[in-house]
Amino acid sequence: MSNHSHVDRVLDCPMDETPGARELLEAAMQWHFSPETGSPFWLERAKKLDFDPRADVHTFDDLKLFPNVVNELREVRAEDLIPRGYGSFDDLYGVYESGGTTGAPKRVVCMNDWMERWLTFSQRKLDERGCPRNVNWLALMPDGPHIFGAALREGARRSGGILFTIDMDPRWVKKCIGEGRAEDAGRYAEHLVNQARHLLETQDVGVMITTPPLLERLAQDERLVELINRKVSLIQWGGAHMDADTRHLFRTEVFPGVQLQGAYGSTMILGGSLERVDTTGEDACVFDPLSPYISFSVIDPATGENVPYGERGQVVMNHISKGMLLPNNLERDTAVRMRPPEGQLGDSVAQVAPVASFDDAAVIEGVY
Amino acid sequence: MEGVQGLVQLDALGPGGAFRARNRLTVPDVGGTPVAELSLVPSLYVQRSMAALHRAGTLPADERAAALERAGRIFATATVGGLTPQEYRALVSRCSGLPVAVVTAAAEIVADAAAQARDTTSQARPLGAVDHWNDPSTRQGRAVWTRRGNVFAVHAAGNHPGVHALWLEALALGYRVAVRPSRREPFTPHRLVSALREAGFPDDHVVLLPTDHAVADGVIKGADLAMVYGGDEVMKKYGGHPTVLPQGPGRSKILITGDDWRSHLDVIVDSIGDEGGTACVNATAVFVEGDPAPVAEAIADRLSAIPSLPPQDPKAVLPVQPVKEARAVERCLLRSAEGTTARLGGDGIVDELGDGSAVLRPAVFQLPRGDARQAGIELGFPCVWVAPWSRADGIEPLKNSLVLTAITEDEQLIGQLVDEPTISNVHVGDRPTYWMRPGTPHDGYLAEFLMRTKTVVRD
Repeated sequence: MSNHSHVDRVLDCPMDETPGARELLEAAMQWHFSPETGSPFWLERAKKLDFDPRADVHTFDDLKLFPNVVNELREVRAEDLIPRGYGSFDDLYGVYESGGTTGAPKRVVCMNDWMERWLTFSQRKLDERGCPRNVNWLALMPDGPHIFGAALREGARRSGGILFTIDMDPRWVKKCIGEGRAEDAGRYAEHLVNQARHLLETQDVGVMITTPPLLERLAQDERLVELINRKVSLIQWGGAHMDADTRHLFRTEVFPGVQLQGAYGSTMILGGSLERVDTTGEDACVFDPLSPYISFSVIDPATGENVPYGERGQVVMNHISKGMLLPNNLERDTAVRMRPPEGQLGDSVAQVAPVASFDDAAVIEGVY
Repeated sequence: MEGVQGLVQLDALGPGGAFRARNRLTVPDVGGTPVAELSLVPSLYVQRSMAALHRAGTLPADERAAALERAGRIFATATVGGLTPQEYRALVSRCSGLPVAVVTAAAEIVADAAAQARDTTSQARPLGAVDHWNDPSTRQGRAVWTRRGNVFAVHAAGNHPGVHALWLEALALGYRVAVRPSRREPFTPHRLVSALREAGFPDDHVVLLPTDHAVADGVIKGADLAMVYGGDEVMKKYGGHPTVLPQGPGRSKILITGDDWRSHLDVIVDSIGDEGGTACVNATAVFVEGDPAPVAEAIADRLSAIPSLPPQDPKAVLPVQPVKEARAVERCLLRSAEGTTARLGGDGIVDELGDGSAVLRPAVFQLPRGDARQAGIELGFPCVWVAPWSRADGIEPLKNSLVLTAITEDEQLIGQLVDEPTISNVHVGDRPTYWMRPGTPHDGYLAEFLMRTKTVVRD
């Protein structure tokens, strides 16, 4: 690794500018697949591609040429993921990992310039919603290997508040549930909620960030509900799904005076999207990604083609930035395909849900 | 998401009134035509509903009894939720495939059970106990019969509307009740909970919480005590659980000793085929002292004469299912029947009606031995295993029965059967397996599970 960082006109454009899609794609292909700037991982992987990214990828559709490489990120050396065009490890913000739901965790690198871009986007979205600045944040979210915690720390600092955190290890919870020890998972959740209770009772908290399951736990305690309604003006939720009925109940019955804002993303795209401010009154929960760096498409997994707008399909995610290239990743979520705002690359998504699990499989024997 | 035009809307019935969820399950009839939409509530809704049941009070016993009686009448005779009794019965029949005559009779059973719930529960009160602490006898010290909890949950079954007669006893005893309906037949509990509310039970005393599988456990967790219908899986999950009463397989049986089986053929055939063969009290196996072949042939002969009809036909007797599900049942049956002698249904039991549904025709198989494993295979249509039995076999093959009809004069044997803990009910002589009356226990009195005694003494 050389000790000076290459600067790219498009990939390093100012934070308040948005490059065109074609411009970004072509610049990113040059960057990630040129021997001087690309990462050892992609330069090696390119040898096995049956196309030349630098010659063949110009449009959003062309990203479909890429195979889904996320499974390879379980084993690859973290150093090999850093594009050589960065001069030194000084440009590295951190290495983060996926939750490990589908096996060993997958690893990604987050560079400083990307964290900057993500935080700028995130702050803009909070401002659009009227989220107050200079208030304290309480986060009941995974930190450690998970990128969400890092982004929160930076976000709270920049918005001028203190961040209160609670340790949370989602892998342990998944392990408990996977082993049929739901009781242990429940005790762990209770342990987290008790810590949140103490903070809410003793500290000023204006913004709360948590997962839908924990929010449900909090909602079971009338005293906590009262505290949150009195102190908190915005709850950001993410990391798990929230169905439309639950969201409706939170908004109308449980936390009627509190703004509820969803975040939908993935470690594999180093961020994602925040819920659109709903001006239509349709009670829809629509996510617009940080385009063109992060983009979604909603497809029929059988054909690979987009489903029509308004229909449910499976979500494909792309991340294209200077620090990372992760195209064409078929996620395990389904969502309703929504028309994007003017100028956005790819689709917006709504009503995100896990891939349907078919319950009550026909039991034949017996009368019940 | 708007409801499809013309579909019956089955809202959740929560503590704050009816709730139409965005997440709705289409309920089709047996031919596959969508008929209704069932609102499925998320776990947050379940938690809040269960919390509201815990917060609620309890009506005085007299008011509960009167409201139950009214509710039974409303359920059986009034227009509820926009559905007349006829429309309701037609929907249940079309969607569950149960013969409409069975549905009609079940509505009466439910209404009767509601009217008599208080009397039925009082049958279970220990002799030494009184109902209320202020009974004069507590001055000298007396047992008082009290609830083990306040909130009762039911994971209901959809095989037969009659299953909803039982949990009414919990309301009579002063419990607040949450019912999670089956997706197969949510009409009956929806109508019953609506009727109970109309009759005077406040919305936070009895709720209907339709949920998908993932959320269902929350209904039980949120209650003090629960009752769950299901097969062996449910028994395994909840058996030995102190606060959950599983209602497992019926595996009801008939034993006939002596030579005179011919004069009891009506009782045998009715026990197999009554209620469309869908109830836990339908006979699954018949044990015959001596040669079972003529008995099996006679049963087959009688059952084979039943016509195949759509479920809503007033003369229908047999259950109807979607063709795909009927075929699955058929495969299960034929696979299970390997090594046995088919007397009826050996070539299959599916009779397609041409509209996507199929009648499940009766099946009679003869087993080579009394301890053949097939004797415990219970299927949701008239299906019976006929096995040889001898005194040397004893009661072993007759164990694990919800109901055992013993057509025998052998009093020693009857005594053994009554003493056997895994046999829940013993009917002696010409009493079909499905015989039931309010006031007699179905699988023990429900109140044995719901109540306890405590001493109260006053100065």
